[in-house]
Amino acid sequence: MLGVDIKSIYLAIPLACLIGSIAAGVFGWKIGRRGAHTAAIGGVAVSFFLSLLVFSDVVIHGHSFNGRVYTWAVSGGIPLEIGFLIDPLTAVMMVVVTFVSLMVHIYTIGYMADDPGYKRFFSYTALFTFFMLVLVMSNNFLQLFFGWEGVGLVSYLLIGFWFQRESAIYASLKAFLVNRVGDFGFLLGMAVIYLSFQTLDYEAVFAIAPQVAQQNVQWIPGFDWNLLTLICILLFIGAMGKSAQVPLHVWLPDSMEGPTPISALIHAATMVTAGVFMVARMSPLFELSDTALSVVLVIGSITALFLGFVAIVQNDIKRVVAYSTISQLGYMMVANAVSAYAGGIFHLVTHAFFKALLFLAAGSVIIAMHHEQDMRHMGGLRRYMPVTYWTMVVGSLALCGIPPFAGFFSKDSIIEAVHASHIAFSGFAYFAVMTGVFVTALYTFRMLFMTFHGKPRMDEHTLHHVRESPFVVTFPLVMLAIPSVLAGAVLIKPMLFGDLFGTSLAVLPQHDVLAEMGNHYHGLGPFITHGLESLPFGMAVLGIIAAWLLYVRYPELPGVISERARLVYTLLLRKYFFDEVNDVVFAGGATKIGTFLWKIGDVKLIDGFAVNGSARVVGWFSSIVRYVQTGYVYHYAFAMIIGLFLLMTFFLHR
Amino acid sequence: MTYPIPNLLPALPEIWVLGMACVILIVDLYAKPHRLVAYLLCQGTLVGAALLTLTGWSTGTETTFNNTFVHDRLSDLLKLTFYLIMFCVFAYSREYIRERGMYRAEYFVLGLFGLVGMMVMASANHLLTLYLGLELLSLCLYAMVAFQRDSSQATEAAMKYFVLGAVSSGMLLYGMSILYGLTGSLEIGVIKQTIAGAGSENVALTFGLVFIVVAIAFKFGIVPFHMWVPDVYHGAPTSVTVYVGTAPKVAAFALVMRLLVGGLEDLAVSWREMLVILSVLSMGLGNIVAIAQTNIKRMLAYSSVSHMGFFLLGVINATPNGYGSALFYVIVYAVMSLGAFGMVILLSRTGFEAERLDDFKGLNQRSPWYAMIMLLLMFSMAGVPPTVGFYAKLLVIQSVIQANMIWLAVIAVLFAVIGAYYYLRIVRLMYFEDAEDQSPIIAGTDMRVLLGINGLALLLIIPWVGVVIDLCGKAIQGLS
Amino acid sequence: MNFEQLLFYFFSTVLVAAAVMVITIRNPVKAALFLVLTFFTAACLWILLEAEFLAIALVLVYVGAVMVLFLFVVMMLDVNLVRLREGFAEYLPIGGIVAVLLVLEMAIILGPQRFGLGNFPEPAGHAADYSNTRELGRVLYTAYVYPFEIAAVILLVAIIAAIALALRRRKDSKYQDPRKQIRVEPAERLRIVKMPTEKRG
Repeated sequence: MLGVDIKSIYLAIPLACLIGSIAAGVFGWKIGRRGAHTAAIGGVAVSFFLSLLVFSDVVIHGHSFNGRVYTWAVSGGIPLEIGFLIDPLTAVMMVVVTFVSLMVHIYTIGYMADDPGYKRFFSYTALFTFFMLVLVMSNNFLQLFFGWEGVGLVSYLLIGFWFQRESAIYASLKAFLVNRVGDFGFLLGMAVIYLSFQTLDYEAVFAIAPQVAQQNVQWIPGFDWNLLTLICILLFIGAMGKSAQVPLHVWLPDSMEGPTPISALIHAATMVTAGVFMVARMSPLFELSDTALSVVLVIGSITALFLGFVAIVQNDIKRVVAYSTISQLGYMMVANAVSAYAGGIFHLVTHAFFKALLFLAAGSVIIAMHHEQDMRHMGGLRRYMPVTYWTMVVGSLALCGIPPFAGFFSKDSIIEAVHASHIAFSGFAYFAVMTGVFVTALYTFRMLFMTFHGKPRMDEHTLHHVRESPFVVTFPLVMLAIPSVLAGAVLIKPMLFGDLFGTSLAVLPQHDVLAEMGNHYHGLGPFITHGLESLPFGMAVLGIIAAWLLYVRYPELPGVISERARLVYTLLLRKYFFDEVNDVVFAGGATKIGTFLWKIGDVKLIDGFAVNGSARVVGWFSSIVRYVQTGYVYHYAFAMIIGLFLLMTFFLHR
Repeated sequence: MTYPIPNLLPALPEIWVLGMACVILIVDLYAKPHRLVAYLLCQGTLVGAALLTLTGWSTGTETTFNNTFVHDRLSDLLKLTFYLIMFCVFAYSREYIRERGMYRAEYFVLGLFGLVGMMVMASANHLLTLYLGLELLSLCLYAMVAFQRDSSQATEAAMKYFVLGAVSSGMLLYGMSILYGLTGSLEIGVIKQTIAGAGSENVALTFGLVFIVVAIAFKFGIVPFHMWVPDVYHGAPTSVTVYVGTAPKVAAFALVMRLLVGGLEDLAVSWREMLVILSVLSMGLGNIVAIAQTNIKRMLAYSSVSHMGFFLLGVINATPNGYGSALFYVIVYAVMSLGAFGMVILLSRTGFEAERLDDFKGLNQRSPWYAMIMLLLMFSMAGVPPTVGFYAKLLVIQSVIQANMIWLAVIAVLFAVIGAYYYLRIVRLMYFEDAEDQSPIIAGTDMRVLLGINGLALLLIIPWVGVVIDLCGKAIQGLS
Repeated sequence: MNFEQLLFYFFSTVLVAAAVMVITIRNPVKAALFLVLTFFTAACLWILLEAEFLAIALVLVYVGAVMVLFLFVVMMLDVNLVRLREGFAEYLPIGGIVAVLLVLEMAIILGPQRFGLGNFPEPAGHAADYSNTRELGRVLYTAYVYPFEIAAVILLVAIIAAIALALRRRKDSKYQDPRKQIRVEPAERLRIVKMPTEKRG
């Protein structure tokens, strides 16, 4: 329809980013800062517009594509292929990823203006976009895994971008290690899929899956597992790592050590949503295992509620947003778990906009504050930074789920879906997401009030220099604010109750909560009015009021409360001691085992025996060879004759 | 008596290269002041040959010259590889030989004649052609090793190479004569038919086979027939070492395919076992002794010994799949070795041979770009993913596993790990030591560009590695 | 045993004995002469096989040309016999053992049960006017034209290599350039040098 082969457009979308990355990274020294950011932004922009094209092609004209573009190698009978699965789900993700990425790239020009690693940064971000696109466009597990790992790798590089900082290195390492745990689960899941289905192609796997739904496997004698449950849980472990679900969420708050654009790009809009996307993509598998869905549900609800609590006591502006992200990811997982995959993706989309907005706004504040991130040293910024303030208000309202902002539609429908669901633990989940709304409103507005309202608490010098950020910073804010308002209202009909996703998400009839909700859906107006009357809205308003009371009206109150509820406060402040437990039990245990192995294994066995021993063996062996390698030609000839003689004797007299 | 004129078309590349070699010889007489002419003509010859081979790209198997010559996919692929390697060899040599007073047209002409020898081997369908091609190649190599006449080291190396090569040729001839005695033919296809069914029970056949295997092992430099390798690699001018260490290995693969596989496949049970022994010895000795070397040319020589051991793993499987992986391995090895010796040439200059390991110290400070190229080369030789060397090793080890020789695969991996040590040592020297020598690196544009491509190719080929593997597989499948 | 076989065994014995002498005798000139004998007896064996052309070629090329050249070289180079003999006794036991074992193995395998006359049909004899030379020529230029050409290339390479390696113009050698001699100008022939007159001693 477009005159060019649609496959080459698909191929061009990730490659444009890759080319931008290479141009900025490898040839950065040649093309300069301007060239570097032009190349990277150009690449991403091309991707974005092509994604729009593909989106319209897929969604409006209904052209899906699933096929191999290129066979990379055949290894042991497994074809390693590069293929694309372009369906509505992919198209939505592509547009979201490239749009947010583009905004972040533009914003970076302002944010990183003084950084010596400017070109390197653009190279990384464009590369990241490339991997993310590979991840979402893949039509097989191997390529998914490639993107998955690539995203992890680049995020490692980006979190540790300021590698002079000790804390940044620590954070990047932590992110890397925690993600490895998740990836290990994912890899095992892939292995099980390949062992059972003999293929890694989505379509083939999905086709076979229903036939093996009841099949049990017994890999460890005495333990019977349902095959699909096993696969789904292993895959979900991977998703837990990427999407920061309890208990693998610990890396995300620390990842705020990276520059703010990265926090917005990776830790709000793209990489962390990979897990949610993956679960939705695997919906044909997850649907067949109620147990797996329940596991997802419980983990998701715990994440949604309890990590929200932690956000209340954080003082670092970015960490508040970070914990809020974890909590919102919990919501998305919950949506997936109750088979409202469309709801999960819907929330993913709206969240991508307003969370990127919040991050970038927080970044804008940080610029104005000369890289001060502690909210206790802020306050009253409203007058100095009106654009940032108002966009942040939009983002906050969207996050809290106040109609008619985008977050309202997605969050409200998730809560409704949980309410309508009947799978195990849905009651608990309903409680968790409901309470979560209150918590969300509380911490969001706490942040807003502490930053922009009240009396300025910073020192004179800083206050003197506070001013609105430059255009390249505010422009993306405004651009992101628009969908943060509108996306929900526009998308709710086609995404949730329409057939935008078509067959790309599979839902069993007995699980189909969205269809049930669809029966009661009578358009935007009634949905909003219904929302205004319902409990979640009340909770949100309550949360906002509480925040106002605590941080504007009676600012001394939080101190009193934290005194009184010392135990709870400490628990939250220390984030439920996850880090401590990890440090002591896992890291500590590992260190102990490591020390033990080092003492016994390394020092005695490897150093003593293997290394020194092998060095001695090598020395000894070489001396012999040197003795033989005399340089005399007749010795050489004689060695050949001996070789011939031995071979002959051996083979002729057997 | 009438005898039809044989179809010359399939042999057109050979005829072209041969003709051009003679033309260069004559042109050089009249073009003394502009000696670049010989070099340019030589490279032009290679390009022309490549075009000819590509135009005549075979789709099936055809023989000519009364069945002494065969033209199939394997021969075409091998010839293309030869051209490519030789192109780089000449480009790397140009400055080097000029600085050392070896820049004479004979250098290029001998190189081209050697190429003809390799091409003859690649297309041989007859024991005579096979042998003559081998001799033609060897003779050129002997002469080129001795090309630096005033260097006693080079002369000694050439002498050793010549004497030992003669011994191995004698063995090959003896083995062939036994085959002839038993089968009554020199034509490979006929030999195959005659011994079909005779199998490994025939002791006399095995007797002949031993001699042939020994001669082949000598050409590859496989333990215990490897003794010439370090001395020749070390003694020869580096520009000749590049030649000796690359293309002839690929040509020796033709020897394996035509003789062992094409003619003696029914004896596979016997030669497989011989190759297993030789392969383990090579991997072991090559890797361990390489660690103790302080001269990089000697180190690369022992590394070549070990690589050829790995290469044999692919042949051991004795299936088309295995041969395909072996072919892939030997081509990849040739490219890596080309780059590694290229780096040695690059760092050398008039009156100075950068052949100690220490000469690579602090290369990163002198030139980060070349340090990276060398890093890629070393990683690839060590088999570190995602370089192409890794895939080469992976494929041959996979083929061994398919042959149900897990123990051999384990040994191979073990030796690969040991081998990684000395490659990574170079990387350490380049990046973590201070340079002893701060002189700038000077080289011709052709060399710099080619060496850069040579090194980067090991990484950048990865997306198309499947295509190359496929090409190798198809070349082998075309055989039967 | 007929006459032919008698001849065969006679020549074979001489051949092997002469070959052994080549590598054992102390005087290199004598060794070379024994090599001549070896070639000669080999040629005789070929005649027995009705390969007359090859036999003659062997005598002409090897005995006539190569060996004479070889003798020149051996005589011109003053080969140090003592150094050549160094280590001979040292290596003899192990070398001898391997050699004997090899020969034994070969003898067992290549013995009469595999290569005996009974295993091969007797080749058909040729008519009296059969020309060995013509047949060889015919085969060489038709069926074996390709190997023949390669052999020619090998000879060419040998020439090139030999010239490239051996031919060198010594820097201090004196030579005449006729072209320069002809084109010479009078002024170049004679140069008048002014010198201060020396004082009478």
